[in-house]
Amino acid sequence: MDYSKQIQEIASKLFAENKIDYFVGYKQNSFDDSQVPFLITDPAEIPKLVFTDRSVFNLANYLKPDHTKRKRVGLVVKGCDSRALNLMLTESQVKRENVYIIGICCEGVLNEKGEKAQNCVECVMPDPVVYDEMIGTPTGKREYKVNVDIRELATKALEERADYFESIFENCIRCNACRHSCPLCYCAKCCLDQETSTLYHGANTSSGAMHALMTWSLHLAGRCVDCRNCEKACPSHLPLHLLHKQNESVIYENFQQHLAGMEKDDRGAFYKYSLSDPDDFIL
Amino acid sequence: MNVFIVETDKTGLQKFYKEIIGKFETYAPVEKFGKYDYKKVSKLDECDPDSPIEMTMSVKPLFFPKTAKVMKFREDNTGTTVSETDEDPLTGQRVILGVKHCDARGLQVLDQVYKWDYIDTDYQKRRENTLIISTRCDKAGTQCFCTSLDYDVENSDAHDIRIVNGLDGKIYIQAVTQKGEGFVKENLSQQSAVGSQQSLEEIKKHYQLFEASFRLKMNYSEVNAKLQKLFDSLEFETVSSNCISCNTCAFICPTCHCFKITDEKIKDTGVRYKSYDSCNNGYFTLMAGGHNPRPVKYRRWRQRALHKFVYYKERFGMNLCVGCGHCAISCPVNISIFDVVNQVAKI
Repeated sequence: MDYSKQIQEIASKLFAENKIDYFVGYKQNSFDDSQVPFLITDPAEIPKLVFTDRSVFNLANYLKPDHTKRKRVGLVVKGCDSRALNLMLTESQVKRENVYIIGICCEGVLNEKGEKAQNCVECVMPDPVVYDEMIGTPTGKREYKVNVDIRELATKALEERADYFESIFENCIRCNACRHSCPLCYCAKCCLDQETSTLYHGANTSSGAMHALMTWSLHLAGRCVDCRNCEKACPSHLPLHLLHKQNESVIYENFQQHLAGMEKDDRGAFYKYSLSDPDDFIL
Repeated sequence: MNVFIVETDKTGLQKFYKEIIGKFETYAPVEKFGKYDYKKVSKLDECDPDSPIEMTMSVKPLFFPKTAKVMKFREDNTGTTVSETDEDPLTGQRVILGVKHCDARGLQVLDQVYKWDYIDTDYQKRRENTLIISTRCDKAGTQCFCTSLDYDVENSDAHDIRIVNGLDGKIYIQAVTQKGEGFVKENLSQQSAVGSQQSLEEIKKHYQLFEASFRLKMNYSEVNAKLQKLFDSLEFETVSSNCISCNTCAFICPTCHCFKITDEKIKDTGVRYKSYDSCNNGYFTLMAGGHNPRPVKYRRWRQRALHKFVYYKERFGMNLCVGCGHCAISCPVNISIFDVVNQVAKI
């Protein structure tokens, strides 16, 4: 999977036609084969743009006004990233006319060890769901499977699970990199940053970390697209996907096989009501 | 510089470590989720004093914890009463194994700010009651640049005892401070030869090989001189363009020392906490009334880069950045402060 040439051509065309102010893609790191997000405003930088199976970041994150200031953006998205983008569009965070979307039919990206990333192995939608231009050959939607770590965790005793999660919260340093790297955490003032609030603990204790991470994951329930940007950002290497995948599997099972961001104008599991919703929990 | 050196081998070193763990409250790098963090250990098998630098968190939290209780308070109709917390600021002696030398230097740098206008007694106590045993890296990490900065890595006295894996297969335990010498004499019960001029040569040889393994090299005095005049540089905007404004770099930095104060209150009693804060965070400079002098990320990055490489040096005569590369390794988008300052200074 190397689409660097195509992306460079599209970017040059967009700048030449004055359709964009920013282009957001990937750049090769000079010291190893990893890549970094790359924001350009100057067409002279275009030759540095790359796209390979090392392009791991979810660039939809850069549509937040902090980064691209609500200007016109050319953006490279993979399948999962496009689902996040779809949600950002639905939730009125970006204007559709302000993004030129280059959708990649993704073959899966590699993790740090050079193996195919777990979320790519379990990917349900490798093709872009929203795009202006598509690169690659679409392979279509795949079957949803419950995450392997969640299945394994479910077999363990409750105390063992509690201890495991306690160790996650203990190792959290509350840097909030997970939140800042999530394209769907766009609130101008996050509830976890309310310093005068006594509900959300500002102190860096493990109970504070638990509160913060649980609240964060519940705010993303039914919205998380499993791009794992948070997990890649975590300096303590915490398995944050467990929180999201658990929510996702419960929602998939109970909310008519709902998966976030797959369709245009789909506002998420908790916003929909249907007469055919199961009501067997009502006595 | 103290030259008290003891020669030993791998098993001798293991024995030394085991004796320390048996006798003292010992902290060492413990692996969890693929990252090493300094935790209290009771057995040598639990930890790895030779943990790779790229995978190891800083030792800072043992001196400046990620969160600490400041006071307790209670409100009733007569007003608010304030009391001391039950937190123990460390009274006994403790030993830390496997500290990286850049990290130890970080503590020396932090000392400056903690004994400046206000003396932080908790921090001072922790410093006084801790003995630092450092293992010198055999090879530089991909983001390391400690040898390029304003301190002498080879003759650093930031740690009390230094362990060097000699090229001749021997392991050298070198006491660097008086405290370290006393500690080795008292606690190294095994039979070992006291090192000579030759062991000093071996330590030097090891250093030369280590120094040659650096990918990143910087001309520090040039960078420092140029940055002093570059407050208005537009380059800060370019270098910070992909920064996501999280707090990672500051929280894991061995020398970042900003903190915030928060209260946790249930009904009418509560605790006031002091926790890490970061200048890369958009709320950091937000004032009551709503004004924020650093509302955009390039201004925050300018503050970070100049504080690390200019302001602290001006005030305390030491560079705030110690070149450990932790920030670049942990940064979600791999921004390296080395690249930032070099790019801004155009070197």
